[in-house]
Amino acid sequence: MSGLATLETGLLLGLYALLAGIWGVLWGLAQFRQTQICGRSAAAAYGLHVLAALTIILWTPLGFGWKSLIVGSSLVFLAIPPMTWRLLQHTHQKEGSEHDRQPSQYSSRIVARL
Amino acid sequence: MYRSQTLALKYFSAAITLFGVMTITGLISAYYYLNPDFLLGILPFNIAKILHINTLVMWLLMGFMGSIYWFLPAELGRETAGIWAAEILFYVFCAAVAVVAVVFIFIQYGGSNEAALWFINQGRKYVEAPRWAALGIVVIMVVFAYNVIGTAIAARKTTGIITVLMIDLIPLILLYLIAFPAISNMSADLFWWWWLVHLWVEATWEVLIGCIMALALMQLLGTSRRIVETWLYIEVALVLGTGILGLGHHYFWIGTPNYWLTIGGFFSALEPLPLLGMVVHAVYDAGAQHMKTTNRPAFYWMMAEAFGNFIGAGVWGFMITLPQINLYAHGTQWTVSHGHFAFWGAYSCGVISVLYLVLQKTRNLAFVDGPLWKWSFAALNLGLVGMTGALLVSGFVQAFVERAIGGSTLNAFISGQENAWFVDGMVARFLLALVFTAGYVVLVWDVLTLGRRAPAVAAVAPAQ
Amino acid sequence: MVVDDPAFWRAGAISTIAVMSVVLIMLTIDSLAAISPGGSHVPPYTVINQHIDYKFDSNRGFDVPVISGAEPLFGKSLDEATAAALIDRGKMVIQSRACIDCHTFFGNGAYYAPDLTKAWLDPDWEGWQAVTGTDTREAAMVKFLMDPEQYRTWTRAMPNLGVSEEEAQSLVAYLKWMAAVDTNGFPPNFNQIEKRQ
Ligand code: HEC
Ligand code: HEM
Ligand code: HEM
Ligand SMILES: [Fe+2]
Repeated sequence: MSGLATLETGLLLGLYALLAGIWGVLWGLAQFRQTQICGRSAAAAYGLHVLAALTIILWTPLGFGWKSLIVGSSLVFLAIPPMTWRLLQHTHQKEGSEHDRQPSQYSSRIVARL
Repeated sequence: MYRSQTLALKYFSAAITLFGVMTITGLISAYYYLNPDFLLGILPFNIAKILHINTLVMWLLMGFMGSIYWFLPAELGRETAGIWAAEILFYVFCAAVAVVAVVFIFIQYGGSNEAALWFINQGRKYVEAPRWAALGIVVIMVVFAYNVIGTAIAARKTTGIITVLMIDLIPLILLYLIAFPAISNMSADLFWWWWLVHLWVEATWEVLIGCIMALALMQLLGTSRRIVETWLYIEVALVLGTGILGLGHHYFWIGTPNYWLTIGGFFSALEPLPLLGMVVHAVYDAGAQHMKTTNRPAFYWMMAEAFGNFIGAGVWGFMITLPQINLYAHGTQWTVSHGHFAFWGAYSCGVISVLYLVLQKTRNLAFVDGPLWKWSFAALNLGLVGMTGALLVSGFVQAFVERAIGGSTLNAFISGQENAWFVDGMVARFLLALVFTAGYVVLVWDVLTLGRRAPAVAAVAPAQ
Repeated sequence: MVVDDPAFWRAGAISTIAVMSVVLIMLTIDSLAAISPGGSHVPPYTVINQHIDYKFDSNRGFDVPVISGAEPLFGKSLDEATAAALIDRGKMVIQSRACIDCHTFFGNGAYYAPDLTKAWLDPDWEGWQAVTGTDTREAAMVKFLMDPEQYRTWTRAMPNLGVSEEEAQSLVAYLKWMAAVDTNGFPPNFNQIEKRQ
């Protein structure tokens, strides 16, 4: 395994994770501004992320197990923004109930008696 | 104001002062790479660097403690228990830090005996402080834990966040005990040392800053407790679920069995996943608030924390965490690049965010904004990100020239350090560090004058 | 719904932490055995009485330490207790002078000065032998460690740390022992390239 190829793999892995982050941010922005450009750039970011993943899989000297991990992570990265979002919306829907808004000392529900 | 909150202010002042000492000693260490005869024989590189990384740990700890002393009484509705002890220990803490610094600067090292480790220098990275001072830190942290737990008991109540905090403080303090032994066997020494370093920054500190950010979110954005607590539990589960065994990414080459290559690589490669969740969460909060807030610096620094944690720890860590790559990147400027970005993103930004929240209350400001914080925010972040970029270039060259081609002998080391790209990276790092330092100066200026300048800059709320 | 009940996530957090901690403790017990002197990865301290090399192992696919034949340090073969005392002393010198804040050991420390993992095997000692006028590697190392500024090889000098002769000898013993630790092939290519040429 050549040293340079391994080191370039390191940079590719960084790019891979960075693009996943950009995908997450753009996906979130697209939920607020439902313009085409936002949605498309989010998709493009994920597309580039997949491209980085493919480059890692086809071109780098990593073993099979590590490459599977890359594929698996890409799938999880795909799911994280929508899943986080849904959960956030779900929890925020119930925000209305008054006792939650009170400072802790009045909120008997979550105050465990010691 | 509670006495606990007055104490918090003192802790923040001390933290920001040490942040300054850290910056200066960082500059000295960095300048050594450009001019190796600089201060040689007066303050050698290792002593400057010891001061740099120890003040780093201390100012962050002080920032965390200040944050908790600030939020705790409001959270539990009463004065912090045993506050008198905490007040005394604050001065003991400051005096101890000063004495340790003076000993490092003027005495530097002793003979090869236990006395030197007790009174001068323990010579173990990040925990070089002599044992007497380390004992003092244990006492201070135990009293701190007592303050938190005792307040909950006295108030006869706790909240989800405070419960997580109380439980988290126990391993955090226990891990610090690893600062004491001097194990002859370097493999065993480093094995335990990494429990301390990794299980602090990638486990117990992550939980601690999670609690602090949860409390800050409730104050800053009025997010409901139920939501904040749900997220805190999710974060704790995912961060510790990946971070505990992620410890293995430090056990590749220290003499440990090779199953760590698989375990450490696998679990640490999962560590960025929960960090992306936090970024998405930050985007949600920003969007839901339409970027409107009464405390813009606190809000922006909080956003910087979420992004910085993901990029600095997640992305920069991910580059070097698989064993194949770590074999070459290990112990090079690449590591330094990651260490700076991660510490900055995950912890420093969070502490600065809470600082602005505290200032808003103590200076009674309805609205915190103005030009100064923007300049310091820009200079600090650009300076730091620029530094990590420069270090990445140097680190890549070092990994290639010294490790991959040269084979890590003294000669290989020298050819890596003398490579033109490496040198350029070091020069760029130093110049960008000056930008960072300018940002620090503006930060101090802003913090000192906030709310005391012309009312056009920060409107003063009517007295309550 | 269960996912927005904090109690659900609290239970999840507690069980994940419990499982991971138990696994970590089990692995720790196993690793501590492997890394104790004389364990599967770390040689006994008496290894300083032997010849140490670092060679490519085609089964494992990387360089491993090769321990062979007698080669007593400073010409004296040491028993277990004396060797252990020397290593203890060496570690004390290393900590008291904070070598790790300039150098790395097994790649951990600071990056201002070369990695010391295989410093014992560094081909440069030959040159230092000539400069210091000594006829063995260990003697050259002792001279260098006692007065590194005088024997500096490039612009970046190691400062004089007040190391006595006895302390320097314990350091050499420490470095020799460390070179015999099985580090899963770190540092890569050490010495190989120069040897192949
Ligand atoms: C202030 C930084 C600094 C400290 C502290 C320091 N060193 Fe060094 N060391 C260096 C530098 C720089 C070099 C390269 C010197 C040269 O080439 O002239 C070096 C070179 C060496 C070498 C030669 C390496 C080789 O592979 O040939 C050894 C061995 C060594 N140091 C051991 C030690 C020990 C043991 C200690 C602690 C007692 C120590 N050093 C403390 C900076 C330091
Ligand atoms: C808040 C989180 C983090 C902080 C503050 C942090 C900080 C650091 C620091 C300071 C070092 C250098 C340690 C030393 O040798 O002194 C380091 C090393 C390392 N970190 Fe992190 N880190 C964080 C998260 C992560 C994550 C999430 C990953 C992986 C994805 C990671 C991967 C690594 C690796 C592999 C090393 C070893 C580098 C080497 O071999 O030299 N870190 N980290
Ligand atoms: C003025 C800005 C700074 C400069 C010039 C600077 C410079 C340096 C230098 C030269 C080192 C020694 C690296 C080596 O061994 O070669 C270092 C280490 C370190 N610094 Fe800084 N630093 C600065 C700011 C910071 C900040 C803001 C943080 C954290 C928030 C930080 C955290 C660290 C850490 C964790 C290490 C140890 C890293 C490692 O050994 O891998 N530094 N710094
Ligand atoms: Fe780590």
